[in-house]
Amino acid sequence: MAELEATAAVAAFSDGLAAAVERAGKSIVLVDARRRFPATGIAWQPGGIIVTSDHVLEREDDIGIVLPSGDRVAATLVGREPGSDLAVLRIEGDLTPAEQAPAAKVGQVVLAVGRPEPSLMASFGVVSAVGGPWQTATGVQVDGFIRSDTTFYPGFSGGPLVDALGRVLGLNSSRLGRGSGLTIPANSVDRVVQALAQHGRVRRGYLGITTQPVTAAAASGLLVVGVEAGSPADQGGLLVGDIITGVGEAAVDSSTDLRRHLGPDAIGKAVTVRVTRGGEARALAVTIGERPQSR
Amino acid sequence: MSTVTASLFEGVAETARASVVRIDSGHGTGAGTAWAPGLVITNRHVARGATAVVDGMAARVIAADERRDLALLSAPGVTAPPLPRREGALRTGELVLAVGHPWGLQGSVAAGIVAGEMDNGERRIVRADIRLAPGNSGGPLIDARGRLVGVNAMVAGGLGLAIPVAEVETFVNEALAEARATGAAAG
Repeated sequence: MAELEATAAVAAFSDGLAAAVERAGKSIVLVDARRRFPATGIAWQPGGIIVTSDHVLEREDDIGIVLPSGDRVAATLVGREPGSDLAVLRIEGDLTPAEQAPAAKVGQVVLAVGRPEPSLMASFGVVSAVGGPWQTATGVQVDGFIRSDTTFYPGFSGGPLVDALGRVLGLNSSRLGRGSGLTIPANSVDRVVQALAQHGRVRRGYLGITTQPVTAAAASGLLVVGVEAGSPADQGGLLVGDIITGVGEAAVDSSTDLRRHLGPDAIGKAVTVRVTRGGEARALAVTIGERPQSR
Repeated sequence: MSTVTASLFEGVAETARASVVRIDSGHGTGAGTAWAPGLVITNRHVARGATAVVDGMAARVIAADERRDLALLSAPGVTAPPLPRREGALRTGELVLAVGHPWGLQGSVAAGIVAGEMDNGERRIVRADIRLAPGNSGGPLIDARGRLVGVNAMVAGGLGLAIPVAEVETFVNEALAEARATGAAAG
């Protein structure tokens, strides 16, 4: 008896997974904007709004979308956010926006679904970890992540991680997580999509310098190796060769430390940048600007 | 967790394991799938010669197809029961199980899903999101209802690739027709 029930249960589970892929697939499109294989996108909002991974857009013009119906249409770029590897596209006409799932739980059965070709592809696994705020390798703050043991096959970036009912838990990026792949939770994707749809970009603070960490006898901090002409740093008097040791009261030891002071709220604020120049400590007043797009 | 959920795959796995044979052809061990009484199907790259040893008994390769990577063996002593065959299209996301001898481990079971099918113009391939290894070659890929979906053939880019059961059926039918025409004994 138990054996028969198990046989029926495994068949039902299997049918459920296939149904989940089909259901999710109504909102999953192919994104053709790079030379090699295409990637995936998710219909996110009414009005033809599609979200995908930023890194799969090698070009900003001539972006092709293959719809679930198999029809090919053109998309325009609404905005991109390289830091959290997200980009928003728009097409004429409507798509079925993806249904969002409740927050992911460790151990939950999930599927990574992609459309790197006109038909759907899927990978099976469970949620391995769910985390809070973290910083990407480029120092951008993202407010959560989901890691699963699904495989992001080539072209899966920009596609969804879905639950066993086909509802979207987040957006998969093979680029994030230092190349091992991560899923950005749906509510974080939402925030970026809102910002991109409104401003065409996600605002971030900007100084206009390139630095590298140093430990010298005189000081340890960030050695300024480049200052962009006309940038907030240039206007504030920062020079190549300065060692930045702090911003305001806080010490600065790494580029991650520095980026903590460059959130969206910092734009337009005057801060004191403490540097060591020729062995002497100096304090410079710098007004933080807004980072130009695609930096 | 109910006992039903706890033992979800066991029944299907047991059915599938019964139909798997071990093939030794002088250069390693592979798997084979019972196809019909006295007939075993495997990959050509598993049974490379004219003869092989199936579950310790002598067997003869009666047809081989390099392009499809399939070989049909006459193995009169083999009693493993053939699996029912899947008819109808596969659905992306449905569960599949693979049975074989990865790294020589007899009758190992792996579970995964259909990742998608592929048609490269020349032939169709079932792509499975499943962990396969050398020794799975020639063994069956089965669905959640214990039906044969394909014959596992290789791993590429982390995906398990299997020859669809319809393709295997075509190969076997052609091979048996050919054997009859030339008067060779198929049994």
